[in-house]
Amino acid sequence: MPPSIHPVDLVATLRQRNLTPAIIFLTSRRACDEAMQSFERSQVTLPKAQQEQIARVLAQVTEQFPSIAEHPLIETVQRIGVAAHHAGHLPSWKIAVEELMRTGSLDAVFATTTLAAGVDFPARTVVVTQSSIRKARDFTDLTASEIQQLAGRAGRRGKDLVGFAVITPSPYIDLTVLTKGLTGQPEAIHSQFVISYPMVLNLLKAHPREQIQSILAKSFAQFQLNQRTAVLETKLDSLRAEMEPFGPRVCSDWITQWQVFEQARKRKKPRSPFARQESPDVAARLHFLTPGRVVGVTRGRGIILRQYRSKGQHAPMVTLLREGGSLNECPASIVTQVFDRTFDCEETSVYPWCTPQTLEQLTHHLTDLPPRLPILPILTHQHEEAPIDSSIIQTLGDFACPTCPSRQACQRDFPRASRVRQEIQRHIKSIQALQTSLWHRFQERIDVLERFGYLNANAQLTADGEWARLIRIDHSLLITELIRAEAFGAIDPPLLAAVMASIAHDDDRPGSFPRGSAGLVTLLFQVRKLAESLTPHEAPPMLRADVAALTERWVSDQTLTWIGLARLTTMAEGDMFRLFARTIEFLSQLKTLKATHPSLAESADHAIAAMRRGVLEELP
Amino acid sequence: MNTHELEQLLMQQPVSLLHRLARGRISRHFRSGKRKLVDLLLQASAENRPGLESDLQTLIEERAHRPQPAHIEKTRSAQARPRPAPTAASRPHKTDDHSHHEPPVSLHEWLSGIGVPPPQPFIPDAWQVDALAKLAETDVVVSVPTGSGKTYVAIEATKRAIQENRTVIYTSPLKALSNTKFTEFSRVFGPGQVGILTGDRREHSQAPLLIMTTEILRNLLYDAAGGEIDVRLDTLGLVIMDESQYLADPERGVVWEETLIFCPSQARLLLLSASIGNPQDIADWLTAIRPTPCSLIRHTKRSVPLRAGYLHPNEKLTPLFRTAGIPYGQPHLLHPEAKRLFMEYEEETGPSRSR
Repeated sequence: MPPSIHPVDLVATLRQRNLTPAIIFLTSRRACDEAMQSFERSQVTLPKAQQEQIARVLAQVTEQFPSIAEHPLIETVQRIGVAAHHAGHLPSWKIAVEELMRTGSLDAVFATTTLAAGVDFPARTVVVTQSSIRKARDFTDLTASEIQQLAGRAGRRGKDLVGFAVITPSPYIDLTVLTKGLTGQPEAIHSQFVISYPMVLNLLKAHPREQIQSILAKSFAQFQLNQRTAVLETKLDSLRAEMEPFGPRVCSDWITQWQVFEQARKRKKPRSPFARQESPDVAARLHFLTPGRVVGVTRGRGIILRQYRSKGQHAPMVTLLREGGSLNECPASIVTQVFDRTFDCEETSVYPWCTPQTLEQLTHHLTDLPPRLPILPILTHQHEEAPIDSSIIQTLGDFACPTCPSRQACQRDFPRASRVRQEIQRHIKSIQALQTSLWHRFQERIDVLERFGYLNANAQLTADGEWARLIRIDHSLLITELIRAEAFGAIDPPLLAAVMASIAHDDDRPGSFPRGSAGLVTLLFQVRKLAESLTPHEAPPMLRADVAALTERWVSDQTLTWIGLARLTTMAEGDMFRLFARTIEFLSQLKTLKATHPSLAESADHAIAAMRRGVLEELP
Repeated sequence: MNTHELEQLLMQQPVSLLHRLARGRISRHFRSGKRKLVDLLLQASAENRPGLESDLQTLIEERAHRPQPAHIEKTRSAQARPRPAPTAASRPHKTDDHSHHEPPVSLHEWLSGIGVPPPQPFIPDAWQVDALAKLAETDVVVSVPTGSGKTYVAIEATKRAIQENRTVIYTSPLKALSNTKFTEFSRVFGPGQVGILTGDRREHSQAPLLIMTTEILRNLLYDAAGGEIDVRLDTLGLVIMDESQYLADPERGVVWEETLIFCPSQARLLLLSASIGNPQDIADWLTAIRPTPCSLIRHTKRSVPLRAGYLHPNEKLTPLFRTAGIPYGQPHLLHPEAKRLFMEYEEETGPSRSR
């Protein structure tokens, strides 16, 4: 069985069942294009009347957008009544396809899911072949809203009695995601409030700093944070109610009092190194494990070089010189016998804990020892209670708790009361955080802008801030810093457009492109360096040199046609159009700086004028 | 709570709860038995006992609030391995459904009714009338399924505002949609009556209806706040924001918020949105920040009914659900034929399935 139905068969089936016109959502642009190609070989042709209708509609659209007159797909579309509609196409071609669908001239359109919102035309049937879409390099499942948005295109008001959403499996499908999406509730939406530099500048231009907090409080972000706060507050109320029985007792803050008392009492427990509970015989032997002492271990004998406590557990440890000259760090419990023999040992504070001469002598002694040695008899005391540290007794004496009448109640309630109190404090802290988080983020932005000199210490706009606030696009900090660094001093329009294009472009689709001029390469190098230095404050743009070179070519060579430009690169026409449209948008922001940067504004104006030709002139 | 008490409490809990508790604390916790799991939990939480305790409390409370899961647990274990076929006692609602829609819908039935409705004079839906009536008094948020006729509301509202000599701004999220709407509205209102504003171009910027992207409107509002009034904001009577669900767009959503916060108070707002889960939140928010209250028009029924189908790669078409329409809230009601075919598909393509 094929992994998915062949596009030609799919359309044939839909036609046969009277389910056309249909929108068929495919995973990628390539899938759409390949589906169209597979029709080229098919023998199906439309009846004459429908072909003529398509021609009529296309002629109408061509009047408005002359660029589609020579579109290579026109012939296929007209013959088979099927078209593709995706972001790789020019907007004018997409408008033509939409118009064809609206007039009911086409039987099917292959479209990508990624731009479902941009697909603004209905059909009788929608075919879904996937349950996940590519978002930022990764596939994520479609949400219920997205599935309903897709399926919602089915059923044209006034033209259909029913609409159909047909699922056909492909390797990218999980049926449960789709059935759940079709039958489920659309997801709730959440605020995506981010505080940008231009927002800070524009707000501070119109309002003093004191008012900002109340403006931020009007955001949907704060509204939703307040909803979360409300939940926390009801919880807090119930916690406070739970706290009710633990009110003041003999002392007003009995919980803290008891906590401190507990701690003091617990300190009595073996915390200090010597209060550690060792087995009695080990404890008794410890006094004898001095440097130079010969001891017996499970296998062989050794000489103690040092006695110490381990760092973590404070276990008694010894450094042992073993027969054969090796130095071992081992727990004191390893010692099984203490012999009645010691050697002189000159100690040092670092490894090997004695002078080299001593070590050598000791090694000799160890080998020369007679096989039998007298064993030192050691008396083991049966569990002697360690005396309580006098300082603790004193501290404990300060507490009234041991003799307090509510002592029992305190002891019983303390675990719960302290837990509830902790919870209450945690809730209060989170509520505070929710209420002030936006303002904190705003203040962080103020600090950065102040450091760069767009704001003065009173958070008022400086001369630079006054013009910088007019740049209200992504990467605004990079652009304003470039302007201040005079990177665009007396820049040529093509170069300016090229740099703006590399800042504006945020797509990483690979491809082949023309080469840029030497001037552009140098300039981009500087831009990249500046962008890197701004990284802590603003995510750097991709700064692709290839799209910059493409833009430079388009602006500098006025005789170049759109088709000619498209031949220079493998970039899709739709992507090229979007790149230029976004570049024009960025340039038009520079144009607003007429008053402060006349030459830059003029250069931007020239660049826009130079870019707006051919296809780019057709749409506003 | 001391360690011993905690240990006892943990031992009293069902294993499933312990596993939930172990999530993120212990790796490969699903391998251990109950006793081991409790030990591991105590070990792992040595640093953060209160955290474990509070999580445990919440889980216990959650369990207590659930409608008698313990009971089902018991009956299940009591029934032991060879469970008797009718599970009616534990899962009443599902069997109910089965008896309800006895035979699944046939393909013929499912395909019936395709066709073009007879031409009839356009009668606006109740929600459309309602939205327009409310708009006379308040701001309005409209949340309806795709293709229900939001544009009709926009056009009628614009007509009324123009009659009262007020300016209308219509914003869309994409330039492409702006262009489509520009063409569409020019057809409705006449070419001179509709203007479009983009970053560097303005066409008919004196027209009573201006179309622009939301970013452009935001910039206009900032300019107005900064003192350089650009467009006739004082005569602005109505702001229509299409596709307002973009409010939740990770990159551009903030622009919608800024626009709504700074939208002049004398202008009415009409937010058109696809179906979203919490339109009431948006209406409540706008009521809270604007002088005029905001009403919500919510409508979930599609004007053209929708049916779902399944098309197998071998060109066999079946209904997707047991019912002809879409069984809202019951995704498990799959058509047996569709289920069978899809299982077959999964089996055949299974091993090679990869992304």
